Amino acid sequence: MIIPRTIRRFQDRRTHRNGPWAALFEAYGGDEVVSLDCETTSLDVNRAEILSIGAVRIQGTKVKTSDRLDLRLKPPQSLSGESIKVHKIRASDLSDGIEIEEAMDLLLNFIGNRPILGYYVNYDIRVIDKFLRPVYGFGLPNKAIELSHVYHDIIKWKHVGGDIDLRFDTIASKLDIPIIQRHTALGDAITVALMYVRLKHGQAPVSTH
Amino acid sequence: MTDSFKMDNVPFSLLDESEQALVSANLDLGYFQQGEKIIAAGEVPEGVHVILKGKVRESEAGDEQQHVFVHYENEDYFGGWSALRGRAIHDFIADEETICHILPTRILLELMQSNALFADYFQQDFTVKSEIAAQHGKGQDMAEFMLSKITSATIREPLVVEQGTSIREATRLMRENKADCVLARKGGRYGMVTGTDLLDAVVLKELDLDGDVAEIASYRLVTADPDDYLFNALVMMTQQQIERVVVMSGQSMLGVVELTDVLSYFSSHSHVIGIRIERASSIADLREAAQGLNDLIKALISTGVKIRFTMDLLAAMNGRIIAKLFDLVIPADMQPHVCLIVMGSEGRGEQIMKTDQDNALIYRDGLSWSTMQKTMASFSEQLISFGFPPCPGNIMVSNPEWVNSVGDWTQKLSDWAETCEGEAQMKLAIAVDAKPVAGNQALFKVARNWFLRHLRNNDVFFSHFARAAIEFDTPLTFFGNIKDKSELDIKKGGIFPIVHGVRTLALEHRILSTNTYKRIEALIEAGQMHEKDGKEIAEALSLFVQLRLRQQMRRVEESEDGFDPTPNLIELERLNKMERDLLRDALQVVKSFKKHLTLRYHLGG
Repeated sequence: MIIPRTIRRFQDRRTHRNGPWAALFEAYGGDEVVSLDCETTSLDVNRAEILSIGAVRIQGTKVKTSDRLDLRLKPPQSLSGESIKVHKIRASDLSDGIEIEEAMDLLLNFIGNRPILGYYVNYDIRVIDKFLRPVYGFGLPNKAIELSHVYHDIIKWKHVGGDIDLRFDTIASKLDIPIIQRHTALGDAITVALMYVRLKHGQAPVSTH
Repeated sequence: MTDSFKMDNVPFSLLDESEQALVSANLDLGYFQQGEKIIAAGEVPEGVHVILKGKVRESEAGDEQQHVFVHYENEDYFGGWSALRGRAIHDFIADEETICHILPTRILLELMQSNALFADYFQQDFTVKSEIAAQHGKGQDMAEFMLSKITSATIREPLVVEQGTSIREATRLMRENKADCVLARKGGRYGMVTGTDLLDAVVLKELDLDGDVAEIASYRLVTADPDDYLFNALVMMTQQQIERVVVMSGQSMLGVVELTDVLSYFSSHSHVIGIRIERASSIADLREAAQGLNDLIKALISTGVKIRFTMDLLAAMNGRIIAKLFDLVIPADMQPHVCLIVMGSEGRGEQIMKTDQDNALIYRDGLSWSTMQKTMASFSEQLISFGFPPCPGNIMVSNPEWVNSVGDWTQKLSDWAETCEGEAQMKLAIAVDAKPVAGNQALFKVARNWFLRHLRNNDVFFSHFARAAIEFDTPLTFFGNIKDKSELDIKKGGIFPIVHGVRTLALEHRILSTNTYKRIEALIEAGQMHEKDGKEIAEALSLFVQLRLRQQMRRVEESEDGFDPTPNLIELERLNKMERDLLRDALQVVKSFKKHLTLRYHLGG
């Protein structure tokens, strides 16, 4: 059954607000955001297995890379030739990875109730929820910030007509942000974090066709 | 952290694996908008910043127009010094959007503790990177020593006595407190009494031991600010030949810094030349000290010490060397009857690299000293052996033309002033920058004052004299860009017009200072120059001198014989874009100054 995320969050909050994870459901009052990225074996949520998770905190204009989450998981059964090509992660790279349950625990503790930022962040959240819900009984309750929306909302005023190119590399080059370790979860999370800080605090980029 | 941080770059490559891991575990990323202050002067910086992307300038605190010291670009790092000192002295401003890695001070200190090589490297100012690599640690003492503040040396609590204290009592107190000086308070003022003063008073002047100690104190105290560089205090002491400086913070006295304390603070720095000059008891000792000057200059420049400050220091040092040599060479009975003057850039105190010696001797009318010329020849000889090259125009005391009695000297000055011929004008230009360095200064002052009076209201002279300042074209195109040549002669294009223009104005207004910056200040004070213009001119001059010096140093280093055949050449491609922009702006300042001179002295057409 497909239930919209907002309704699920509302239900989760009612169920868990007195539980051990109650803190996660409190409204966030600070100014921090967590940039999150997962590398998975598939782009289909139902089939996807998580290979690695990277996350960093953003505090004002600073990306706190000193306080980061860089998790590698045990290789899933489904690690196929296709995703190896995309992520350049082989089973051997993951041999010293951790279990998914442990990863979820570390992740929840890292994010807390801060908003989550990502590029196509809903995909990441849905994949995480897929593993989170069976164990904890709830999905990530956090507010989600979609980088490409933030970008779109700012650039559209500068851009007359036509579609806006929202590809990752295009946004990065428009914003003049160096791409840090493309196709690693942590690298992408940092790049997204920098793009976000740039959009929030810098001048709007000049759009050229 | 990620591969975006290059561990292969020095100094991080000096770290071992676990130390590098510590670095990468603690790096943060910061984003800064164009124009944003990354570190503001006076603030506590977060740590060392390593630029991932962007450009940052380091400039003097406050005013946006201030002089820029250094530009940092990709993979450069900055703020290390500020982090170590605890507070930044300069502003670090993003010239364009900038992303930096930030390594917290805490981690930096940890690494410096565990890795000596890294610590050595990091204590350097960053512009000296290459130099340190070359001479490994030699310049480091200098950098440290240059940037120590007075507060870091021992400020001694002064022994203060009230007016009316007897000489006997003061001496007893000094003995009890193991102090070698005492400050006597008379009304609201403090006067210094040293052990020597007490001896003089009691033994030579045979004053009563119950006499008031306040009567023998000297009330013209030499004071320094606690935040001033310790080095400045040393310069003051060297210049004025004193052994104590009183540290005053505003109106309140903090204490006394003694020469011995400064020296002991610096004792690990074997290059402290000032001291060696003072201690030299033979010409050979002095020569050794003089030759150390070059290293000092290099260290000063590479640590980014302000150019004016460097010039002041070197003028003081050079002056001391010459005066000391004078002491050693000229017989004591002749010293009161002659005055040695230095002229040209040395007289202005604007010499940095030891350029040619321009000096002259003035002697009392009617002095009979048969071996004078011979002594002078050996004096010049010695200076050459100290590394002061001989003057190509032969303007030095070994040339009898520059050894004159007061009467002949004034006659020469007025003769030169009356001819409009180029060589005479040049000699005059050199001579009016004269400054006495040794011997009887009164001889020099008599001649100078006479000459200044002589020139009063002589408009024709000033018009002729000023003309040289506009003789050379400013190397700017019609549209205000630097003429597109790969190099330019900065002396003709920028330095000479400013120096000569200011010299002319100073001469006309009978300003006694010879230093161009001091002349500008005096002209502003006298209302002859707008403050803004004066400041711009001074800044432009500093920039020219700094750029020239940097290129000179490089050429000297590259040449085999340590000699730079083209000292005034600026190779434009060696400047970064910002420096070229600054140079262009400075040349614009020169251009408008020349326009001003043209109007002022009716030089048009």
